[in-house]
Amino acid sequence: MMTTILQVVALVAIILGTFFSVVGIVGMVRLPDVYARLHATGKVGVFGVVLLLIGAVAWTPLGWGRALLLIVLLMVSGPVTAHALASAAYRIGLRVKEPVRDDLREI
Amino acid sequence: MYYFARAVLLLTLMYLALTSNLQASNIVMGLLLSVGVMALLRPQLREADGRRAGTAVLALFRYIFVLIWDYIVSGIQVARIVLSPTMPLHQAIIAIPSDCQSDLGLALSAHALTLTPGEMVVEIGDDGTMYTHVLDVEKVETAVAAAQKQREELLEKIFP
Repeated sequence: MMTTILQVVALVAIILGTFFSVVGIVGMVRLPDVYARLHATGKVGVFGVVLLLIGAVAWTPLGWGRALLLIVLLMVSGPVTAHALASAAYRIGLRVKEPVRDDLREI
Repeated sequence: MYYFARAVLLLTLMYLALTSNLQASNIVMGLLLSVGVMALLRPQLREADGRRAGTAVLALFRYIFVLIWDYIVSGIQVARIVLSPTMPLHQAIIAIPSDCQSDLGLALSAHALTLTPGEMVVEIGDDGTMYTHVLDVEKVETAVAAAQKQREELLEKIFP
């Protein structure tokens, strides 16, 4: 009974994780500029990896402790990477495509 | 010295829990690693205040819950924009003021803001203003200030 539940959890997590990883790549191709693309890869891509990790832990006899630590590290490092890349991109002069507003331009 | 010993003990316990191996060699390995880590870190001495620990732990759990929820909503929202045929983008960089004084508080609230659906901090000004890139400016403008205020209050409780 318990194994069946775990298997269902693993299946759902792996399907969703694959879906979000694919969305991350599609976004990378379709979105217009650096900043929008970082939203897709830095956040949705990492979200997919976290789901795949949950699926892996539910399916295989790995420890939850290690997976939890990895998930926390991914959730901390994903946004930080996105922010670092965005900041660097703005500093070398890449601008947002068709912005409605740009408060950073004045300073 | 007491601070050092306590930190080393905690790190060693963490290491043993993660490797799940209680052989003597592994314990020595964990101790050595912990001492090494602590030797590289600059100690931050702060008076422990027992009375506030309860509220801090409660606020920490609420904060983690809020973060996970934001993370899920964020994933779904960006996925919807990416997969829709017309791609409804209204990009902008907006300035969001912040009340945090310390560097740690500023870093954590910038992290929280980046996890919020459709937002990403691009630059932090000298006065703590966060210049945030948003995917759809019409959706977020009203909600963002209130959400950020709630998160900063929680952070204030965790790191007084």
